[in-house]
Amino acid sequence: MSLLGRRHFLTLTAAALAAGVAPRRASARPLDDVMADGRLRVAVYRDNPPFSYRDGGRLTGVDVDLGRVIAERLGVKVDYMELTAGETVFDDLRNAVWKGHYLGGGVADVMMHVPYEKEFGLRNPEAVLFGPYQRENFALARNPMRVTQPLLAALPDEPVGVEVDSIPDFFLLGAFGGRLRERIVHYMTVPEAVDALVKGDVSAIVATQSQIEGALGERVKNFPVTPVSFPGMMTSSWDIGMAVKENSRDLAYAVGDVITATIEDGTLDKIFQRYGVTRNAVPTE
Amino acid sequence: MKRLFRTGLLASAMAVGLGLSVANAAGPTNDDLLNDAKSTGDVLTYGMGHQGQRFSPLTALNPDTVKKLVPVWSFSFGGEKQRGQESQPIVHEGMIYVTGSYSRLYAVDAKTGEKKWQYDHRLPEGIMPCCDVVNRGAALYKDKIYFSTLDARLVALNKDTGKVVWSKKTADYQAGYSATAAPLIVDGKIITGNSGGEFGVIGMVEARDAETGELIWQRPTIEGNMGTLNGKESTMTGKLNASWPGDLYKTGGGATWLGGTYDPETKTLFFGTGNPAPWNSHLRPGDNLYSSSTLAINPENGEIKWHYQTTPHDGWDFDGVNELVAFDLKKDGQTIKAGAKADRNGFFYVLDRTNGKLINASPFVSKITWAKEIDLKTGRPVYNDDNRPGSPEAAEKGKSVFAAPAFLGAKNWMPMAYSPATELFYVPANEWGMDIWNEPITYKKGAAYLGAGFTIKPLYDDYIGALRAVDPKTGKIVWEYKNKAPLWGGVLTTAGNLVFTGTPEGYLKAFDAKSGQEVWKFNTGSGVVGSPVTWEQDGEQYVAVVSGWGGAVPLWGGDVAKMVKDINQGGSLWVFKLPKA
Repeated sequence: MSLLGRRHFLTLTAAALAAGVAPRRASARPLDDVMADGRLRVAVYRDNPPFSYRDGGRLTGVDVDLGRVIAERLGVKVDYMELTAGETVFDDLRNAVWKGHYLGGGVADVMMHVPYEKEFGLRNPEAVLFGPYQRENFALARNPMRVTQPLLAALPDEPVGVEVDSIPDFFLLGAFGGRLRERIVHYMTVPEAVDALVKGDVSAIVATQSQIEGALGERVKNFPVTPVSFPGMMTSSWDIGMAVKENSRDLAYAVGDVITATIEDGTLDKIFQRYGVTRNAVPTE
Repeated sequence: MKRLFRTGLLASAMAVGLGLSVANAAGPTNDDLLNDAKSTGDVLTYGMGHQGQRFSPLTALNPDTVKKLVPVWSFSFGGEKQRGQESQPIVHEGMIYVTGSYSRLYAVDAKTGEKKWQYDHRLPEGIMPCCDVVNRGAALYKDKIYFSTLDARLVALNKDTGKVVWSKKTADYQAGYSATAAPLIVDGKIITGNSGGEFGVIGMVEARDAETGELIWQRPTIEGNMGTLNGKESTMTGKLNASWPGDLYKTGGGATWLGGTYDPETKTLFFGTGNPAPWNSHLRPGDNLYSSSTLAINPENGEIKWHYQTTPHDGWDFDGVNELVAFDLKKDGQTIKAGAKADRNGFFYVLDRTNGKLINASPFVSKITWAKEIDLKTGRPVYNDDNRPGSPEAAEKGKSVFAAPAFLGAKNWMPMAYSPATELFYVPANEWGMDIWNEPITYKKGAAYLGAGFTIKPLYDDYIGALRAVDPKTGKIVWEYKNKAPLWGGVLTTAGNLVFTGTPEGYLKAFDAKSGQEVWKFNTGSGVVGSPVTWEQDGEQYVAVVSGWGGAVPLWGGDVAKMVKDINQGGSLWVFKLPKA
């Protein structure tokens, strides 16, 4: 089934294409070096629940657990590099995978939580994007007493929470002729917005389904979560995978094979369940 | 008299063997700081005087004698760390205090270049400064030297030992805040702005007790947010929801990352504010006060006296952070208490600094696409509406426009100078534009979001940088010096009819202040993006500047970054003097 993993590559430049069909070169670092080191350095975002975050000082989350499983199945130990998010993922790929931050700290072998999308990959030829393991989408979480219908167009005249600068923020500020603009309440993070929903400060929130579910946990019983799309406006879903440096294609193959196996044997679903998050399969699986 | 007294004290202290540090411990008083623009034996403040004129009354160096200006010594900042050196040295009683990249501070003997002490701030993991690891300078007051660090702290050190007296967190670096500007000290208060955090942040001006570091007042720059005074809420900035929809004012931008100036005559602080958030201007109808503005603030309590907004409802990332330089405008037989600001948006503004009323506004770069002019009656720009980046619709990116100046500004951080002798401003400008669009989809922290896309492009083949002499009475450009690479360093002018500035090509250059003729240059070995200073020591005129290429251009410059990628980094302080005959 490793072929299936390999299908999930974005091979982008002509040079990259050539490298992709060439036999594995012994000189390419990556897989051989990882195996020789006995360690896989995995980059995860700082403060990015439910995927990677500190819980009582301990690094945890979906991406952290998945990174550990990958290392285990490759037969090496795992090290984590916590990555402060830059302005865009372009910066993060540069800092985590192919160049390192100018403040120092080096690079990781594999970066988790990288958008897997063709156009984005084409614009980042220094990295190889592979192994999508989650389809992200947006969702509405609501207090059912105050918001009776799970429809954006039917939101009542009540405050609605969003994460500042997110797509739901932009969408709701501009949607329906700006009708909702005065009622949008901005929070710095999705967990803060979820707390506001639970406390009753807002009647509903719109954010990624993963983040809402991760923050709600058991409380999801009282606050129904419904996937939503932003019709006619912009992308409402995207896939999340991993990245390695362009010269580390063989490592990507090996890690991609592990991902495929964890999808097939149910390990990946179990990891998501551990954090109360719905795993949406990437359609080509 | 104070100075004489201190010299006497120094001599007697040495005589009884108490040592230099005890004798020097007093340091400059508030009066000394207020007199800095006139005193020639030292450089006590960022801006060479609180008004920020960067003018020295010294005349020994002039267009004739400058050819004899020679290097005396050079001091390396050391370490493996280099990158942008944007500092302005402070000079006091034979000691130079200079900050380096990566939040370092050095005390160096002004005569010999010998290092007295060095402070390396321990930077935590996870800081994310937007625009290189620069620092723009320190502030000196009494026995302490102060500077801001990349992890958004304000540190006070004993000026004689370099030991930390206090260190205060001014903002949360984990939320993306940083600090690079030189602090300003007025009447015992240390006053700072804030920087970084490209989203979810509001601008702030804060005053602390210079002795203890305790917070005295805070003034948010965005309308609707509450200020504080002595630990209690004071007044709201502006009026709630007057120029912002919904709760966007809580995250409206307007960072004050370049710090401020102070005018002792009107007892007013002037702080410039950054562009508003979110990026897409179509989502925040209104002027979005007080983003992209200059705020006049009472240093006693943080109350806003007046504001002038240079780019209302900004859609081009035109920060309004640039310094307002106070000066006397002599026009039609009158002397007006004026202030001038060369804005990122390409216009040179002359304001009445007692009330913020616009006197004149004129372009100081050759191409401005976003506005036709500034209406002198209303004080507002006459927009070119079709040059506003479009709102993203459907799956397509919003309408892309070519706008000039580029987001790095007709003038960026680098401070201009004003000469009361020539009555001209000397403005380090850049000629560039950008393709800019509101992008429907990009990714932040692994999640899709809406960003802005931009690519910077030079306007001309042969130059980007232009040092321009601007007449504030007319707005006319009297002379210009063109430089191939973008100019990124501060300017100094003197009563000796000279203007000094550095270039990325490595030169410190001197120009005839009246004609613009280049009269001297020296290559420092790396790009000069700091601010030169001059003072008198042992009867000789000295000049100092830091060398070390970096700053925002190599990180953000697009096509321009490629042009300058072969410039080597560095990190050193150069000191020159005109030897006695």
